Amino acid sequence: MSQPHVIIIGAGFTGVATAHDLALRGLDVTVIERGSMVCGTSGRTHGLLHCGGRYCVKDQESAIECIEENLILRKIVPQVIEPNGGLFVALDEGDIEYSKEWLEGCEACQIPYKQLTHQQVLKLEPYLNPEVKLAYEVPDGTFDPLRLALAFAATAKSNGAKFQLYTDVTELIIDNTGRVTGLKIWDRTKDERRELHADMVVNATGAWAGEIADMAGANVPVRPTPGVMVAYEERFVNRAINRLCKPSDGDIVLPQRRMVVVGTTSFEVEDLDYVPVVDEQVDLMLERGAALIPGIKNAQMRGAYMATRPLIGAGLTGRSVARTFKCFDHKESDDIDGFVTITGGKATTLRQMAEKTSDIVCQKLDVEVECATAETPLLSYRQYYAL
Amino acid sequence: MSTQKWKVTFKVHRQKANNSPNYDEYKLEVDPEEYVLDAVERIWAFHDRSLTFAHACHHSTCGACGMRVNGVEKLTCITFIHEIAKNGSTIKIEPLRNFPVISDLVVDMSTLYSGMEMVGQRPIVPLSEEPAASDIKPVKAKDGDYIRLSDCIECGLCISACPVATTTSGYFGPAILAGARQASINGGAETLKLVDCADGVWRCHSAYECTEVCPSFVEPGKKIMQLRRAVLGSRIKSLFGSRN
Amino acid sequence: MTTYTNKPSPSNWLKWFDPRHRDTGTWAFILNRITALGLTFYLFLHLIILSQLAQGPDAYDSFLELAKTPIIVIGELLVIVAAIYHGLNGIRIGLTTFSETSNIQKTVFYFFILITVIGSLIFGIRMFTA
Repeated sequence: MSQPHVIIIGAGFTGVATAHDLALRGLDVTVIERGSMVCGTSGRTHGLLHCGGRYCVKDQESAIECIEENLILRKIVPQVIEPNGGLFVALDEGDIEYSKEWLEGCEACQIPYKQLTHQQVLKLEPYLNPEVKLAYEVPDGTFDPLRLALAFAATAKSNGAKFQLYTDVTELIIDNTGRVTGLKIWDRTKDERRELHADMVVNATGAWAGEIADMAGANVPVRPTPGVMVAYEERFVNRAINRLCKPSDGDIVLPQRRMVVVGTTSFEVEDLDYVPVVDEQVDLMLERGAALIPGIKNAQMRGAYMATRPLIGAGLTGRSVARTFKCFDHKESDDIDGFVTITGGKATTLRQMAEKTSDIVCQKLDVEVECATAETPLLSYRQYYAL
Repeated sequence: MSTQKWKVTFKVHRQKANNSPNYDEYKLEVDPEEYVLDAVERIWAFHDRSLTFAHACHHSTCGACGMRVNGVEKLTCITFIHEIAKNGSTIKIEPLRNFPVISDLVVDMSTLYSGMEMVGQRPIVPLSEEPAASDIKPVKAKDGDYIRLSDCIECGLCISACPVATTTSGYFGPAILAGARQASINGGAETLKLVDCADGVWRCHSAYECTEVCPSFVEPGKKIMQLRRAVLGSRIKSLFGSRN
Repeated sequence: MTTYTNKPSPSNWLKWFDPRHRDTGTWAFILNRITALGLTFYLFLHLIILSQLAQGPDAYDSFLELAKTPIIVIGELLVIVAAIYHGLNGIRIGLTTFSETSNIQKTVFYFFILITVIGSLIFGIRMFTA
């Protein structure tokens, strides 16, 4: 009896984590990705391993997901994480006012925090704005985006998953009962077109989920919302620095190797495949980043780019939309079987997104295996190439 | 980003499967302050969807977007157009050398990653080993040093630029030797033995192209020399009976 | 695990000497190779000529005639230039291998090129005005 074959479209964080989860449960998995590993939104994350502090006031569902997954990822994939903690700092009266709600939010979501004195915080981070009024230490972390994905992919590969990169999905194959039974692909490395068949197709294309769902005539209410990130030379800080205010533009600065990255903004866009960098937004990042770390004002810019988050929600826009994720079983929502979409979410919650998706996939395929990814340490990310 | 627009012709290396390569030309309007990778991405998005190229982070931490730009190895996500071209010029984009080409601008970097695994390069190191801001002494955490992702982003530019790697397929290459140095910095006799061979640390001919093109402060040439000294030291020690 | 294999091939010979788009270090390397080949060739020549000289005074005299022709003098100057450069680059490599000086390797190279030029001029002038 051969195992059911699942095809996952998209090798972003959700795709590789789901591939790992399903492969671990013994299914036959193929991942189809039109670019290189995590070349869409996932690769461009600034790399903040959230403790949930950013969401603990208005989006407690996301906050709780974050702190849970933060602890799990530190256990299963330490090889790509800098577990140096993070800071939430207040710079003005508005921040101080907000801190009251923030502290309540941390309590409610069980996010550990520790207040630091002015002297303590500046000793910890000498390049921080000396005007800092309040500072709290939290269990944030930072990670390498590509290597986090490669670690999941390597483990998936070791359990038999196959990855086919540089391959477009041109059409979904739907039989006369309205079931997705496979897809047509264009392998751009050889310029070959083929058909693949599957017992289940998982749409893990994140911000592009709506476009792929359209191919099946299904509806996924994802609002692609790009934001800018700017990287500056000099690793001014060794941990993530968050502005203690409600989520807004440029309130995160974090280290990534010998740089600091400032992010981000939030706006809507039509064409996802290429989002040009907007000068005003880069200027805004400089301003907001320099408020937290004055040294940034004179730092050389190393890179500026746009990343498109997949926000789920109907009716709301931008920052008021929840940062949680949702798995759509299209049999229920659109009467199209054999097709499941997972979108929304954040990098930090990739494993949980995969768990929920894999649970649904397994339930639909009558596979009775529990998820084991929370306890399974991942292989070295280099095994993706060495295997 | 400026409001100027330049007209630039991109000559891009194209190759599918094992067919012979050719160059396709694309005329683009570019902002001189945008990055070469942005232009390549636009060629794919708006001109030719058959193009394959690798990229991920867009801020020099993943190492995926290495390409040869006008013959020189660059990390295209941090290479400004104005650095390598002028209004009206032609920019040649080719894949890295010394790796098998998968298609167009994508190469197979398995040997690099496997090699790093073989020598045991550590992706995460204590901050004191690779301090990133030279004028600050990092505060030690209660239970040890803070740690950071190692400088090397495994981009392969050094291997592409190395004249020895171009002509000697068995050479470990600068990235892996620098990785071996990092892995053995506090000991590691096994690693030293591994690189102490004709195709290892002794194959380098001091061209220092690796250090020239490294975008991530690794200075592989220097590391190879340090590794040589470590290997010799280890050999001398074992001559006198003690094993490291 | 991938295994490493070395396959010598004729196309590689051309790649050794391709300095396009490369920096100073590659030039140092290419010149090192060329001078090495030249000096090795000279060594063989020298041994062949010495063996001929062992055949008696007539052979020696006719060799001395040959040795004064301009082509041979130029050839010998080239040997000197090659020896100076090759020796100095060898010092550069030894220096950067055994001390923390790889960051000034370009400066050292330029300095040694200067010495090579000066040395070659001195020898050249002496040889052609003797």
